[in-house]
Amino acid sequence: MIVPARILALLRKEIAELARNRAALLPVVFVALITTALPFFIAVATPRISGHPLSHDADLVHALTKVSGELPGIDRLSAEAAVQAFIFSRFLVMTLLVPVTGAITFAGHSLIGEKIGKSLEPLLATPITTTELLLAKVAGAMIPSLAIMMCTTIVYMIGVAALAEPGVLRALLSLKTALLVLGLGPITSCLALQVGVLVSARVNDPRTAQQFGALFILPLTGLFMAQMSGVFVLTVSTGLLVFGGLFGAWILLLFIGVKLFRREAILTRWK
Amino acid sequence: MIAARHLSRRFGDRTAVEDVTFDVKAGEIFGLLGPNGAGKTTTLRMIAGLIAPTSGDASVAGVPLTSRTIDRVRQHVGFLTEAPGLWERLSVRMNLLTYARLHQVTDPAAAVTSALERFGLADRADSMAVELSKGMKQRVALARTLLHNPPVVLLDEPTSGLDPHSARIVRDMVLGLRQQGHAIIISTHNLDEAERVADRVGVLRRRFLAVATPGELRHRLFGTRVRITLTEDAAPFAGVAAAAGATDIKVAGRDMLTFAIEDVDAGTPAVVRALVLAGASILSVRNDDRPLEEVYLALVEDDSPGELAS
Repeated sequence: MIVPARILALLRKEIAELARNRAALLPVVFVALITTALPFFIAVATPRISGHPLSHDADLVHALTKVSGELPGIDRLSAEAAVQAFIFSRFLVMTLLVPVTGAITFAGHSLIGEKIGKSLEPLLATPITTTELLLAKVAGAMIPSLAIMMCTTIVYMIGVAALAEPGVLRALLSLKTALLVLGLGPITSCLALQVGVLVSARVNDPRTAQQFGALFILPLTGLFMAQMSGVFVLTVSTGLLVFGGLFGAWILLLFIGVKLFRREAILTRWK
Repeated sequence: MIAARHLSRRFGDRTAVEDVTFDVKAGEIFGLLGPNGAGKTTTLRMIAGLIAPTSGDASVAGVPLTSRTIDRVRQHVGFLTEAPGLWERLSVRMNLLTYARLHQVTDPAAAVTSALERFGLADRADSMAVELSKGMKQRVALARTLLHNPPVVLLDEPTSGLDPHSARIVRDMVLGLRQQGHAIIISTHNLDEAERVADRVGVLRRRFLAVATPGELRHRLFGTRVRITLTEDAAPFAGVAAAAGATDIKVAGRDMLTFAIEDVDAGTPAVVRALVLAGASILSVRNDDRPLEEVYLALVEDDSPGELAS
């Protein structure tokens, strides 16, 4: 039986610890800044500095024609605004890197950090079950990661409203964006965290866990490249399909994590 | 309160604990003695529900220790691990509050406030754990162990590395727990400490070499010895003592007779009477107890008196 009060107790401790260790947030904030600033540099700053509008780039225009149907009202935008909307919508995928980075940073330390600090044994001596422990550890890292991702998205949208051509923001405010930010972001983060926590429970070194978590950057980067080239278009239906697949994978990983988490081995073999 | 029957634990080919049987009653302190790697921590972890025995049975506070009940067993146990294991970046209060919540104490905040006062930590409640001395950390860890008022308390090297003052505070707290009716197992290398606090001790070296009170162990290994201090030269009175039933008589210093005697309660007055009649002026009469350290070393170095286990 899962006791939410115990999950909440450990979750509060995780958040309080993170609040005291702000340096751990730096990699996440850094990635958030990069993923937010990069599209503005490409779509807004570069054309202004170079004097060459984006709409004059044949490759971009060609890629735009492949996906124009998924951006609402794009046909009513100017040529420059349409290309900007295309770029800003593609880079939204990159915001998924924020919670994934958070996952890599926090999950790698989750159980190993407890072990190194010698706080794992007293914690395991409480009535907390393995499922409760793993859920609290995942949630404890996911909540701050997602909070930063949400802040990043809000700043991103405010930046688009302030700096991009008129109508670009409207084109971004779609069901797909909502799915990306509220669905795919959290579930990708959750999955990366679960992998991190799982690996963290089996290895002695936080870097090993981080390296496994970092594997999640590869498919995200691939998704971004495929989107930019127009090879793959993330529509609402494909997004929902991906969400379902990732959710299923997370449940499976949680189950495997509980099975693989061996208190005895952690206590007696970790040095 | 704690009943362990033939507990064994193997890790691969290595047997850490073998056929360990003991009971601890409510209001009793049981000292677990043994060299490094003797299986003390493994035994405590089995009783705490952290690792399962390979064979044997145990029950804690009436709950049998099985894979199904192991979470329930942990509700009844307070386990002070060898290292305090505090969350260093959190305050003392937050450390305790988290554990009170994990144990689902009815009013966590009140329980923490009470524990802070009980363990003299109230003025350090908002200090970060990392700022505390080792002795203070151990007090916090002890407070954490007792937050949910467990009937069974397991203490793994509770005074290890503490200065004498801090160690004494911790020891006094342990004695206080006995008075409150907790069943306590204390694992320690500190034989003086075991002697001071434990009602019974078990000398462990993978298996129990002996389980008894410190006094019983002494008696079994060395017999009972008495020391009589005179105001004058003791050597001339050795023969008098021997005639009165004393054996293995030794003159210590100039004015002291030590000897073994079969029945200390009946035999000692007879020896004293004989000495007085022979004209000796007696300053003091007391048991000449060997330190528990000698008992321990005799058991561990020999590692053969398995028949002593009771």
